[in-house]
Amino acid sequence: MTEVFKVSYVVRGSDHPGAIVNVDERPGVGDRVDLGGRVFTVLEVFELIPPRGEFHFLHVTLQTEPAK
Amino acid sequence: MELVPILKGVELFDGITPEELAAVTRLCQERRYRSGEVITAQGEPGEELFIVCEGFVEVVLSRSQNDPSPRAMVNLGRGQIFGEMALVDHGPRSATVRAVTDGTVVQAIRRQDFNRLCETNHHLGFIVMRNMASDLSFKVRHYHLAGR
Repeated sequence: MTEVFKVSYVVRGSDHPGAIVNVDERPGVGDRVDLGGRVFTVLEVFELIPPRGEFHFLHVTLQTEPAK
Repeated sequence: MELVPILKGVELFDGITPEELAAVTRLCQERRYRSGEVITAQGEPGEELFIVCEGFVEVVLSRSQNDPSPRAMVNLGRGQIFGEMALVDHGPRSATVRAVTDGTVVQAIRRQDFNRLCETNHHLGFIVMRNMASDLSFKVRHYHLAGR
């Protein structure tokens, strides 16, 4: 049984509109996420609604990567 | 593109049997887009449901016909559906959807074919309509959290 994580991404401090996408692994705080070529860092992860079968429903807050 | 493993990861089809999933794959038509290409245009008639298989699409909303600054509402990636509102309510497209990335791949299902399948197989019809309601609910929750 393969788990599917359906994730609602909201980007803080950016003009990016956010995204909804299925991923294979649960995101974690500090992870880097590529949304169509733009890379962000995970600030917060929580369960949006209870899981159903193989599907998990998460909300993730992202922030832009600090300039290097 | 091998469709069954892709569609198994789409919430819309969660709970249907392998035979039912195979029937769905027979309705799918694959389309590829380059970055910026419009897939559906706000206000036009909607006759198809779409499933994002690769890449991202951007949902853009205009507040009027000549809106100089249409608003990007959300990007949808792998496993997400769009075009479902027109499928359910037969209204015009509620937003413009365009590809964000080169090589964006979607599967299109015609409303007439989709409705026929749901009407001839009530188990499948109940499951996908329940899942479609769940998907719309998830999108509303996302918009609330995004403040859009």
